[in-house]
Amino acid sequence: MSALRQRIDSVLASFARAPELGLVSILVVLSIYAAVALPAFRTTSNADQILSNSTIIAILALAETLVLLTRQIDLSVGATLGLCAYIVGSALGHVGGDPPLAILMALGLGGVLGLGNALLVDLVRMPAIIATLATLSIYGGLQVVVTNGSQLYAYQLPHWLTTLYATNWGPLPAFACVALVLVVILTVCVQMLRWGRDLYAMGSNPEAAAVTGLPVRRRTYEAFIACGALSGFAGLLYAAQYGNVDATAGNGIELTAIAAAVIGGVSLFGGSGTPAGAALGALLLIEIENILAIEKISIFAQQLLQGLAIVASVAVYALVRRYAQRLGARRRRLQGAGPLPTATIEPAEAHP
Amino acid sequence: MRHLWRQALRWEAGLTVLGLILLAYMSLASSDFFTSFTLQSLALNSTVIGFLALGVAPVIISGDIDISIAAMLGLCTIVLGEVWQAGVNIWLAALASVALGCVLGLLNGIFVVLLDLPSLAITLGSMGAYTGIAFLILGGSAITGFPNSLVTLASGLAGNAVPWSTLILLAVAAVLAFVLHRTTVGRVVFAIGSNKQASRFSGLAVVRTKLLVFVISGLMSGIAAIFYAGYFNTAQGGLGAEDLLPAITVVILGGVSAYGGTGTLPGVVLALFVLGVLQTGLGVLGFSGQEQTIAVGLTLILALAVSAGSRVLRARFTAAAARSPA
Amino acid sequence: MPDSEPPPAAPAVELRDIRHGFEGVQALRGVSFEVNAGEVVGLIGENGAGKSTLVKILTGVLQPDEGTILLEGEQVRFANPRAARGAGIAAMYQEPLIFPDLSLAENIFVGRQPARSAFVDWGEMRDQARALLKRLGIELDPGTPARDLSVAERQLVEIAKALSLGARIVILDEPTAVLSTREVDRLLEIVRRLREQGITLIYITHRLDEVMQVTDRVVVLRDGEKVADVRTAETSIRELVRVMVGQELAALEQRRREAKPSDDIVLDVRGLTRYGYYEGVSFQVHRGEILGVFGLVGAGRTEVAQSLFGIDPIDAGEIRLDGRPFVPRSPRQAMKHGIAYLPENRLLNGLVAPLSIRLNMTMTIWQLLAVLGIVRERPIDRAVDELANRVRLQRGSRRRPASTLSGGNQQKVVLSKWLATHPKVLILDEPTHGIDVGAKADVLRIVLDHANAGVGVVVISSELEEIQDLSDRILVMRTGSVSGEFVTPVEKDDVLHAAYGLQRRAVEAAG
Repeated sequence: MSALRQRIDSVLASFARAPELGLVSILVVLSIYAAVALPAFRTTSNADQILSNSTIIAILALAETLVLLTRQIDLSVGATLGLCAYIVGSALGHVGGDPPLAILMALGLGGVLGLGNALLVDLVRMPAIIATLATLSIYGGLQVVVTNGSQLYAYQLPHWLTTLYATNWGPLPAFACVALVLVVILTVCVQMLRWGRDLYAMGSNPEAAAVTGLPVRRRTYEAFIACGALSGFAGLLYAAQYGNVDATAGNGIELTAIAAAVIGGVSLFGGSGTPAGAALGALLLIEIENILAIEKISIFAQQLLQGLAIVASVAVYALVRRYAQRLGARRRRLQGAGPLPTATIEPAEAHP
Repeated sequence: MRHLWRQALRWEAGLTVLGLILLAYMSLASSDFFTSFTLQSLALNSTVIGFLALGVAPVIISGDIDISIAAMLGLCTIVLGEVWQAGVNIWLAALASVALGCVLGLLNGIFVVLLDLPSLAITLGSMGAYTGIAFLILGGSAITGFPNSLVTLASGLAGNAVPWSTLILLAVAAVLAFVLHRTTVGRVVFAIGSNKQASRFSGLAVVRTKLLVFVISGLMSGIAAIFYAGYFNTAQGGLGAEDLLPAITVVILGGVSAYGGTGTLPGVVLALFVLGVLQTGLGVLGFSGQEQTIAVGLTLILALAVSAGSRVLRARFTAAAARSPA
Repeated sequence: MPDSEPPPAAPAVELRDIRHGFEGVQALRGVSFEVNAGEVVGLIGENGAGKSTLVKILTGVLQPDEGTILLEGEQVRFANPRAARGAGIAAMYQEPLIFPDLSLAENIFVGRQPARSAFVDWGEMRDQARALLKRLGIELDPGTPARDLSVAERQLVEIAKALSLGARIVILDEPTAVLSTREVDRLLEIVRRLREQGITLIYITHRLDEVMQVTDRVVVLRDGEKVADVRTAETSIRELVRVMVGQELAALEQRRREAKPSDDIVLDVRGLTRYGYYEGVSFQVHRGEILGVFGLVGAGRTEVAQSLFGIDPIDAGEIRLDGRPFVPRSPRQAMKHGIAYLPENRLLNGLVAPLSIRLNMTMTIWQLLAVLGIVRERPIDRAVDELANRVRLQRGSRRRPASTLSGGNQQKVVLSKWLATHPKVLILDEPTHGIDVGAKADVLRIVLDHANAGVGVVVISSELEEIQDLSDRILVMRTGSVSGEFVTPVEKDDVLHAAYGLQRRAVEAAG
């Protein structure tokens, strides 16, 4: 094998191992290109906007990551966001409240909704895709029922909330700081706590996880509850960003969140990916959206783009991984090692 | 096939009982229910979902999933509208819709089957992509005013009693059921759903068959689009998204295992009826569309709960009374 | 004289009169034996003899209906696998379950990673992993993602995990079936090391030569009872087989061929290459011939077979079937050309387990038995009856799922599926792997019958005795190439040298 070929192979192999590297490089390249080509992109306010706008998606992507790691999926994050945005917002409007209370309410309500998902997956033994499809519709329906034709207006919300979006904490927008803090917290959780490592194990090989005696059931609950809680929190930020919350708030945003996570290297098979990657994925998506807006390309291209992004990421990651594995296999064969593991390690679908 | 029916009977029997109970309840709860008008509405409203369910059922039986069916429906309806608005005969436009459906399904199939990628992820992406394209074509506007011939097909009654659309749906269901349960191709679908690798190693035409089920899924979405356009007389971006849940619910309620390998098409048709009774009944009783959606979600949950529960019971009593063809 | 010897220590594990049954079948009927600390005891017996049930009881998966288990003289009861693990019992199976996305070190410590005040200590984990591997005499990078590890390496991880859990008793359940000979040697070496460290081992296998090599004692089970408990030094393979089966293994010379292989070449393979798997493989199969393919597991035999059958791609080389060029593209196409392949992994690749027996048996000819694609049941039933007779399938409803059959009968189902295609070339990959002696005999007889009838048969096997007695010629592969070709009868040593690739003779010849 030529030296160049070997070089390429090792790059691909490390890409397969840590896709975040590839992501960061794409982000950097894109940013440089846009900064050079588009004057409107170069401003601080635009950069702030990108960072702030990506926050909600990033948080949802973080939420989704926790569930994806365990080889499950949660389609109801958008509905959870919307429902919590409305209810918590209304509550704040009626009884007033300071940030800690608001955060608690958002996390609590979101957590309860997430618990619903967990119960369906665990007790009713529904595949996560179908369970969260059901809750997506149920929570969405509840959202419509609760709003009862009206909506929440910005003036009803506490002042500290509505000004949050435009505020800067130090050099960064407040939203971005919040996202950053959450990324750090979650990274610590999944890399440094046994709790997080259990999630990876569960997604990597659910059978083995159960046999090894990991608290699989408990982690499933915890993952879905945490996902719901984070989605609820994102709902609070949604109210902060948009002010108005109606019956359709959050509709369809789950696709963007999943796209962000997938682009960020979180595998739909479970067992791999990082919170940082998911957040970066969100950043990339929003940056692309920003560029498209500047270039006056139809915003309707968003969804198409996200869909294509998911398909492309899945294809690229899977094919690269397959290629890298074939390389590793080749190398070992020539060293005279024993046979490759026959099967059963290849993960079954994320759906059942 | 006797054996198949004997085993499937258990689930379908339960489903029939449920349907009859619901029917009885609804009829008693409201005098408006058991009227020809309501029943016809029931049938008409079930058409689109019915086609979607028929399309996605073989995919699920083969061990995969296709959540882009509603998005395919949307895109096909819009293309049907656009083609018609461009001056083409409505029936040719309908044909275009069906053809597009097949193409979209084939695209899904190419990624899932030929590139060997997970169907959940791919159809999640294609769902976004197809919806996105639909929006790109129409933007925020809508197409309305479809010709009478189409409207009659989708909403009209044969002999002033049974809707044409229902008859067509049942005819298509019959054909599909025959293919799935009485042909070799159908058996291959079940085999793949049970063990894809072994099926391939046994020389079964796995690639061809899997592509076929995805194409069928798209085909049915394309057909559903015709009836959507005719019945709702409108085509706009984002339409049909709300039909994904009921379609999946009908399939699962119909006894198809979410894990693949088992299920019957007649069961799906029966489930369509049951769900129709439920939704229409709730509507007559004054529940809003959103509340009905909540009910559908709960039905899905219930169906899976029962299926899981009965699996546990069955495992305890016998050694795997599989519901696949024997 | 005062007795200065200390009283003998209680055995590490003792089983007393264990009985267990399910659904009317008694799997264990009062089995008693003991294993002393630091002993390696081989546990052998045919399939269905009760070995796996015994393992399940020892590891806490099952609770015996009657009988007691004693650990170092104390009675214990394992309510669940956790309890067994806690008591120091660990089991390792053929294909260990691992977490492919986690590192080697994390696989060892999954769920109980070394931590410093709630935070995982990665450095410590790596060091401890390295130390454990050292105890086994191995050097592997603890950071390797587990998905990159070979089966043998995964087994080592499993053993390391057991040690880290403080296991005193390690049960190895058929560990070597999927290993190359070098890896088997390494494993046996590890077993000896563990014994030196005072670990007690129960070694379950079908490979009697390994039993003779590494165990101190052998316990034989038959039909749920212990029928022998002897010191390894005082017995022989022949003796063990006799006890296991209850009868002398029929003299294999009886299987001499009725018809001689013809001169026509039905399968001609030249220079077959798949980079990274095998290279320059050439051989011929004549009509009516049985070509045995021997080699260390991992020599590339299955890969060649799977390529011939269209499962895996080929990078270079030529194949001729009956003189005509043939490029395998898919199993379906290979089948149409008259090639049949019985895969190594029965449950994964051979059977569609939830499907009925009759449908499994006729899977390859569904199309043929149908009319215009429409299923006809009676032709299927007829085909099933005929095939079942040929393979001597056990009686019973053919509409039950195939998963309900025993290993040997499952193999017969898979075999009949291929016989139904009337192949020109029949490739069998480890056909007698993991099935009881009775079924083994049936399978081998069928192979012979087909060879006699003119089919070109290729038998891939890791059991030299079997291959020697069955084949007309033996092809030996080693690390992806053909390293020897012999006509039987042949010296066992010659075959083994070709398989090992020992250069000893060449060196000796060179002086």
